[in-house]
Amino acid sequence: MGLLALGTPLDWPDAKHNANHVREWGVKQLLSVWNRAKGKERDALLWGDEIEYLVVNFKEQEPNVTLSLRQADILTALAQDDKLCHDGGCVPELQDVGGSLPIFHPEFGRFMLEATPGQPWGIGFKDLLDVEKDMKLRRRIAKEHMNPEEYPITLTTYPRLGSPGIFTSPYYPPSGEKLRSQFVPDEIANPHIRFPTLAANIRSRRGRKVQVNVPVYRDTNTSWPWKDPTVNYDLTKWPEDADVRNGAAPDNFIHMDAMAFGMGSCCLQITFQAKSIAEGRRMYDQLSPLGPILLALTAATPIYKGFLADTDVRWNQISAAVDDRTPEELGEEPLRNNRWRIPKSRYAANSTYISNDPRLRKEYMDPDLIVDADVKQQLMDGGMDSLLATHFAHLFIRDPIVIFAEDLKELDLSKSDHFENLQSTNWQHIRFKPPPTGSDIGWRVEFRPMEIQITDFENAAFSVFIVLITRAILSFDLNFYIPVTKTDENMETAHRRDAVLNDKFYFRKNPFPTRAPRPYSANGRSTPTGTSTPSVLSRPPTPTGPVEDEYALMGIDEIMNGSKDGSNNEFPGLIPIVESYLDSMNVDVETRCELTAYLNLIRKRSDGTLWTAARWIRSYVRGHEEYKHDSVVSEKINHDLIGAVIDMEGKGEWNIRDAGKLLGKGFSPCKEGIMALARPPIVDQTSSGP
Amino acid sequence: MTRLILSTSNIMTGGPSIIRKPGADRSNLELTNSLRSNFLAAQQDYSPAGGSKANSPTNYDEEESVSRPSPSVWTTRENSNFYIPTIDWSLSGLSEEPSQYDITVKLFYLPGVDVADRAQHTKDAIALVLKELRVPSIDLLIVSFPGMSFEGDCEWDADKKNASQGDDKQEIKSWSIVEDLYDQGLVKKLGLAEFGSEKLSRFLDKVRIPPKVDQVNIKDCCNVPPPLLQLAKRQQIELLVHNDCTNILPSGTLRELLGQGVRGAGVLSESKRGIDGMKGELTPEWVVKYTAVVRDRGVIENKGYFAVADLKE
Repeated sequence: MGLLALGTPLDWPDAKHNANHVREWGVKQLLSVWNRAKGKERDALLWGDEIEYLVVNFKEQEPNVTLSLRQADILTALAQDDKLCHDGGCVPELQDVGGSLPIFHPEFGRFMLEATPGQPWGIGFKDLLDVEKDMKLRRRIAKEHMNPEEYPITLTTYPRLGSPGIFTSPYYPPSGEKLRSQFVPDEIANPHIRFPTLAANIRSRRGRKVQVNVPVYRDTNTSWPWKDPTVNYDLTKWPEDADVRNGAAPDNFIHMDAMAFGMGSCCLQITFQAKSIAEGRRMYDQLSPLGPILLALTAATPIYKGFLADTDVRWNQISAAVDDRTPEELGEEPLRNNRWRIPKSRYAANSTYISNDPRLRKEYMDPDLIVDADVKQQLMDGGMDSLLATHFAHLFIRDPIVIFAEDLKELDLSKSDHFENLQSTNWQHIRFKPPPTGSDIGWRVEFRPMEIQITDFENAAFSVFIVLITRAILSFDLNFYIPVTKTDENMETAHRRDAVLNDKFYFRKNPFPTRAPRPYSANGRSTPTGTSTPSVLSRPPTPTGPVEDEYALMGIDEIMNGSKDGSNNEFPGLIPIVESYLDSMNVDVETRCELTAYLNLIRKRSDGTLWTAARWIRSYVRGHEEYKHDSVVSEKINHDLIGAVIDMEGKGEWNIRDAGKLLGKGFSPCKEGIMALARPPIVDQTSSGP
Repeated sequence: MTRLILSTSNIMTGGPSIIRKPGADRSNLELTNSLRSNFLAAQQDYSPAGGSKANSPTNYDEEESVSRPSPSVWTTRENSNFYIPTIDWSLSGLSEEPSQYDITVKLFYLPGVDVADRAQHTKDAIALVLKELRVPSIDLLIVSFPGMSFEGDCEWDADKKNASQGDDKQEIKSWSIVEDLYDQGLVKKLGLAEFGSEKLSRFLDKVRIPPKVDQVNIKDCCNVPPPLLQLAKRQQIELLVHNDCTNILPSGTLRELLGQGVRGAGVLSESKRGIDGMKGELTPEWVVKYTAVVRDRGVIENKGYFAVADLKE
């Protein structure tokens, strides 16, 4: 993979001078892919999930928990495990083709691991049952290749990343040349040259360090206005040390200053293969409005740098952590050297819709979309339609950040590295992925907004839910279109503390298709001319009314579980839609049982019966005996929290405070039920369990 | 004698009628709602353009408050067959070739119908589905016999109660009808609905071609009665979940669907002065549900029902 290819990376001013070169070749490669694969049809549904882990050093008796920076050693151990490799599972380059054991990948953070299933999943319902088992297997294999005190955990962020003191093993002092962060060392990033270059060039392009500011949670003893006590205003080692003296760290915000604070987050991402480019474009559009809803539902990020935050999710922090826009692009200075003002970071919610769906109204599009007109023209000259050309021309407004000198020598149209350079550093909440070169893989769509969950049960539940909702969208021909800028607003809303309970999101009121009249019937022959008297027999309304009438503000409960009596809306609910899909499929009892457990988890998270991980973590901290209600998550609290998180997947959740509120009483009761039934009849029918 | 052939056409794109209400258990709402909305759609489509009250026949029934086109506009009579609504067979078929699909058909034999007619009914039902989907065969045929259920406070109970339901002899006899379809290659796999452990094991002893599927409706699908689970495992019968009621189209419901009420289709008269309306004794005979799923994509492309009733005028 390009990720691991070695080469000579260009530093920022050099990379900038070659940006047009990369864009030009990227356009040519994209057109080559497009021409080759636009007619690809009838690809099966294949899908995969990605689980990202933090690796921590944890001992029950030692108060200090640290992040393990042994990513490379752990990956090597995984690669060298002969038996495992023989069975097909290890790091990609050593992996036998067709293996079905999990695959492990490096990530930006040197304390992170990513694991994917060895083979993509299909839509066979048995496959859906294997997802959770496979996730557990991945966790187990990862653990087996670590030191005894190391654990892979699935928290979105490490609560004390960047806190004063020691939070990595081994320890490195902060303020290195690449990141120039006053909180984290350069060694926090994967040492592969790509990653430090990415961080350094983003900083250089931007002209200062990234600013990741999160509002602090104001507890009863939090001083107010609150000044981040960990910020040092007196450093003079790097020019960027002046940032905080120039207002980078405002009052009442937790201040962070490096890419690691964002790209060190763990996410749950799902990628689908579409039947064809048309279906892929449709999925991209229809999943887009669901993004903020699933972000709020999976909220799991209430702590940064040792302080409780007043938000629940990671999204904006990652967005800020890779925001390479210059002051001109940000609108802080008049445009002189840059081409545009750019309203969003390269990590942000989607700005485009791309489907040829006739229901896509022009009113849904972003009226202020920035596109590179030249790129768009080149794509259209190459035969691409305007809608898709606009999408890619929007992605191409960015500069490539990491360029390897060796790649600039010759254009290779059998590869897509230059295209991918831009595509893969446009981190939008839905990604439309052309088929990779040299393989039979089809058009894919990646669903990226979800936060990683603490347990594999939850991660499987959300993964499977997303798969099922895509099937329901295609089967029922659902329509979730709202103006794309409303999705931006929804993404902001999703950040609010307990947004899942308290906030409302713009959502389409009627997701169903308008019935088309029978062809050849009196009313199907031609479009009626003139006005017809409204009557019970009039045709269903065609979608030409005001766009504002098509959507309403709804809570997560209403969107997921359906409108209640007394609501102004009649929204059926995403979960009933999925259940109706399942009702029409042949599903065996065991599978349905497990799916019911997953849907129940999501149903109850939506109606507030169960808590999000963000709420559980916040409550855990606030209920800790050492917590002083001053927003500070101390080392001891952090230690116990991490211990609880480890136990949740290890020893079981039985003794963990409020675990039931996170996972529900009968934490996957069905499987136990089914297994119990599968055993020979129990001797004593009346015995009751704990 | 007239045979009423009711159809829903493809209900997948029919909007909310197919979406289950939260907490709703088994029901026939999907069938009745989608029949109703297809009647309404056909009335709209086949009315003269801009169809309004002025073009509609006047109805003299006092209870009548809705104007609708005459049934002759949107239904078709062919000999003794009365299609409600008219079916345009030129629109039937699937978008890809038949091999891409898993086609499941569930045939509901309704109560109060002479079991001697089941052979003909089965043949008719399968023929309609094959014609609608334009396929040479179906993958799974599930038959649902009248009088069966899987109900009780606990699933053990339900299983026991089930043992004495239905009519073993007739069910076994009827099974030979679908065995014939299997022999002819029209159906690749056979299945049953609502057979508990005792009934199923008695059934297995008597039939030539054993079912591969037993579709059960269990309140909490995690509580499958252990005897049934074990029997199914031993006999390699798949236990599938469903949500249908067994008596899916009671005659009262059908009468309301076709009648002159506000929610009726206006086909069936309830008073002597009905125009274009039919009168007589109405007996629902069978209902068939078909589902075509694109196999490797899990997308339901087509799903619908045919319901047939006998009208003695």
